[in-house]
Amino acid sequence: MGEEKHTGSCLCGAVAFTVDGPLAPLTACHCNACRKQSGHVWPCTTIWRENFSFQEDRGLKWYHASKESRRGFCGDCGSLLFFDTPGSDGITISGGSFNEPTGQKIGMNIWIDNKGDYYDLETDIPRYHDHEAHDLPMPPKHDPS
Amino acid sequence: MSEETKTGSCLCGSVQYEMTGSTRDVIACHCTACRKQSGHYWTSISVWNEQFRFTEDKGLKWYHASDHSRRGFCSNCGSFIVFETLGSGKISPSAGSVNGSTGLKTIGHIYTATAADYYDLEDDLPSYDESDDGAFPMPPKR
Repeated sequence: MGEEKHTGSCLCGAVAFTVDGPLAPLTACHCNACRKQSGHVWPCTTIWRENFSFQEDRGLKWYHASKESRRGFCGDCGSLLFFDTPGSDGITISGGSFNEPTGQKIGMNIWIDNKGDYYDLETDIPRYHDHEAHDLPMPPKHDPS
Repeated sequence: MSEETKTGSCLCGSVQYEMTGSTRDVIACHCTACRKQSGHYWTSISVWNEQFRFTEDKGLKWYHASDHSRRGFCSNCGSFIVFETLGSGKISPSAGSVNGSTGLKTIGHIYTATAADYYDLEDDLPSYDESDDGAFPMPPKR
């Protein structure tokens, strides 16, 4: 049995990470904050914190968009990487930061009432008006033993 | 007729801009650099330099991803705001940074040869494996 592992990084390499185990389907967020920060729609996947490790974090900066949550990016190249609620079991990672293959697909769209007017959302992928409509999916926990 | 003014900003407001007159509509770029930096494929408009100005730039930082281009982002909140090919005379703000209704539409996709495996293109817009080679022209200069 091969050990499934995923790696990712920012554009310049000043932030790099490894995820042990498979990924859950991605969730595309259309909220204003994600669109402002990414420049479009932000697709992300949440993994168990214990299955996540940094290989490099010298460029990592956190922006506290709210009291509960923070958004992680590279201060050198500006890549958007993480959404994190400290104290929670998971950390959320941007789809674009993964080195391929991810082996996953976008599984749902959330906050679609906040979507931009410059694109259509004609899709068979489920759409939800806000994040309460669904918990973000998590992958199976990975036990390295 | 009146010259329309549009404004835009990063998430925290440490970078803001305004632009007047016509802009090129939205192009989605699937190149690896745009995907790494934005977190997905990246959508942008384009405007002539003379029609664009930063009204707040205290957070602005440039990353030179190549000798001929630079990528502007907010060093406070990490928003990827603009792409500029040096000497081109134009600047490309992200579609997501435009405030309010943009009145714009997406007109095509570029660099689809490097699109990621986790999404499919679900529209019939023109798409190019690499650059558009001028297929999506700029509006006339004011």
